[in-house]
Amino acid sequence: MAEPVITSPHAESKRPFLTEQRRSRFTAYTFISPFFILFSIFGLYPIFFTFYLSFYKWDALGPMKYVGFKNFELITTDPTFWISFSNTLIMGLMGTVPQVMLALLLAVLLHSGMTRFKKTFRILYFMPNITSIVAVTLVFSTLFGNNGMINWLLNGIGVESMAFNSGWWGVKIAISTMVMWRWTGYNAILFLSGLQSIPMDLYESAKIDGANRRQQLFFITLPLLKPFIIFVSLQSTIGALQLFTEPYVFLGQSGTGSTRQEGITMVTYLYSEAFRNGFFGTAAATAVLLFLVTILFSVLNMLISRGGRETGGKKA
Amino acid sequence: MKKTKNLALALVSIMLMSSLAACGGSNNGENKAAEGNSGNKGSSTAAPAAEGDKAESVEKVELSFWTLGNVNYEELAAAYTKEHPNVTIKIQNTGDQTAHHNNLTTALSAGSGAPDIFQLEIGFMERFLGAQDKFYNLNDLGAKDIQANYLDWKWKQASSIDGSFQLGLPTDIGPTVVYYRTDLAEAAGLPSDPEGFGAAIDTWDKFATVAKAFKDKTGKYFSDLTDLTYNALRDQSADEIYFSKADGSFIGDTNPQVKKAYDFTVKGIQEGWISNVMLWSPEWGQGMNDGSFAVVMGPAWMAGNIKSNAPDSSGKWRIAQLPEGAGNWGGSFITLPKEGKHSKEAYDFIQWLVNKDNQLESFKTKGLMPSIPALYEDPAFVDFKDDFFGGQQTAVEFGKAANRVKPVYYGPLHDQTDTFFKNALKNVLEKKADPAKEWDSAVKQAKTLAERG
Repeated sequence: MAEPVITSPHAESKRPFLTEQRRSRFTAYTFISPFFILFSIFGLYPIFFTFYLSFYKWDALGPMKYVGFKNFELITTDPTFWISFSNTLIMGLMGTVPQVMLALLLAVLLHSGMTRFKKTFRILYFMPNITSIVAVTLVFSTLFGNNGMINWLLNGIGVESMAFNSGWWGVKIAISTMVMWRWTGYNAILFLSGLQSIPMDLYESAKIDGANRRQQLFFITLPLLKPFIIFVSLQSTIGALQLFTEPYVFLGQSGTGSTRQEGITMVTYLYSEAFRNGFFGTAAATAVLLFLVTILFSVLNMLISRGGRETGGKKA
Repeated sequence: MKKTKNLALALVSIMLMSSLAACGGSNNGENKAAEGNSGNKGSSTAAPAAEGDKAESVEKVELSFWTLGNVNYEELAAAYTKEHPNVTIKIQNTGDQTAHHNNLTTALSAGSGAPDIFQLEIGFMERFLGAQDKFYNLNDLGAKDIQANYLDWKWKQASSIDGSFQLGLPTDIGPTVVYYRTDLAEAAGLPSDPEGFGAAIDTWDKFATVAKAFKDKTGKYFSDLTDLTYNALRDQSADEIYFSKADGSFIGDTNPQVKKAYDFTVKGIQEGWISNVMLWSPEWGQGMNDGSFAVVMGPAWMAGNIKSNAPDSSGKWRIAQLPEGAGNWGGSFITLPKEGKHSKEAYDFIQWLVNKDNQLESFKTKGLMPSIPALYEDPAFVDFKDDFFGGQQTAVEFGKAANRVKPVYYGPLHDQTDTFFKNALKNVLEKKADPAKEWDSAVKQAKTLAERG
């Protein structure tokens, strides 16, 4: 099929520049170029500009003023920033860990017993994800209102009402619930496709060897699902760090609450810094820090998932 | 065959590529020009000089106009085009004020895409007052001649400190008043006519006493929410609120009126006569409708919100004056960004748009309170009766309040700083937090923010 590549320069000079291979390569690159061109204009350029901007003081209207690392200093000495940082992590954990487990459980259930309504369930799982986040948040806001349904249920079982709009944990519980509601089904579908890629004969031979259901889950399903689990947890981690719409809409109904300390995330902090206060320099610096944090967590995620590698799928 | 197809496709891709590149290129060029001479596009520097000769008056001019919220400017613009067939006005309306002003910021900093005419809300004024090179100075276009027609404090909100630069022409204002329910006032044995009710609460101390007595007697709340109670006192501050007019430094912690507003609201929370609902929330509207509180303190334009929130209580509401003065919340200005090339035509249009007759029209159709004091005695304005307010001459009350307003300086960080104090009050109300501690924490946050300015 492919010609052996001739490496001698002498031979190369005799051949025309546009060889068949080069031409098809050129065509291929041309085909994929629109994405890269668009990305470099609307993606890459803003990214680099953000880095550049983080060393300047700018209100988007006047001239830019170089301030060195002052923006980073202002942010890292601002207690509100650290509150937003810890909030992001706490809500990230609250929204991600139970969510991934639940998604896995749902996927296993759907994969095993429920053969009859599979399609329906798949659609149901996906519904939350394609609903407008703002609409969802508004519905949840009424559920989590001071006199909302959740508190009414809590009172029904003899628990006191929680301040979901202003309580340190109340706000976080409400927001994490929205995140979970939105992503559990989506991740369950991902896991389901993973489950379907596991060959059935593995289970059959395991059954013959006398493995029970639980053993099948732990020694076949989970190890073979590992790439999916890694993918989902990495995606959820990155998503959790970029949490914005839920807290912004949930706390921002009165126009002033979106920066409340209980629910401020790194992105809401960044947003209000840029678009409410007009400090684009510090906002850019926040974005840079967020970028670094995201990288850190992605690497950690990789290390953890690699460290937990089990040797050999099947035990003899 | 296949090859030619591939090549053709490749060519198309290349064309797409180069057109995009061309886009990028020309933009860069513009940006460079913009950096080069303080926000003017290189090509348009000569334009203003060419304007104003008679030859241009027959030229067809299209003006783009970005309006905000619920205004009647479409109708007025159409009427203007009837009188001046050579001028057409293209209106783009936005409801979300943050987005509306951010769009302008983006356009101005990019050096292209701004409209000829822009409606600027007072809350965002300071942000743009600092960018005088991006706007026409209306004093150069003849604004000085009409300055005397408008409320002095309103005019000054859009002027530079020395008054030499005028950013916008005044549209409506938002003088604050007390909206109250007569049926609840009567139930508590209070006078229900506006004069009597106003007299019963004409100092804040009296207001608090009345409020507490009302709560004790009826079991209902007197004031609707912390935010509006705080705003009512805050906006009575003289000259400045959170930031010094002279040097822009944070003075919220030493301004006695801010402390007074805070302490008064805390008192209301602790004595239990302020209800716990969020501003703009459905519960708030519900409360107006079924009378779970007696008083809403708000600006003139709040009348519209009350009408739409509380249709069942029509005829039960009246308007009285606030204790100790009035504040102003909201209102707009019409400005001319410098990217527009037809400053003369644009100016002619906007001074017509905000003249006496048209402000009266805006009041009648949309309830926008005029900023022209001569109207406050004008029978056409004064005789306007509102059935929702039991046939009260609402314009008279708003006019009274407008004449009591003192001009204040906000500063560019007013909005976010205000949030800190509002959140502190909310914590006192919802979490039973210690008011003094919350005050300190709000001040600390405000100072941290101010360091960046």
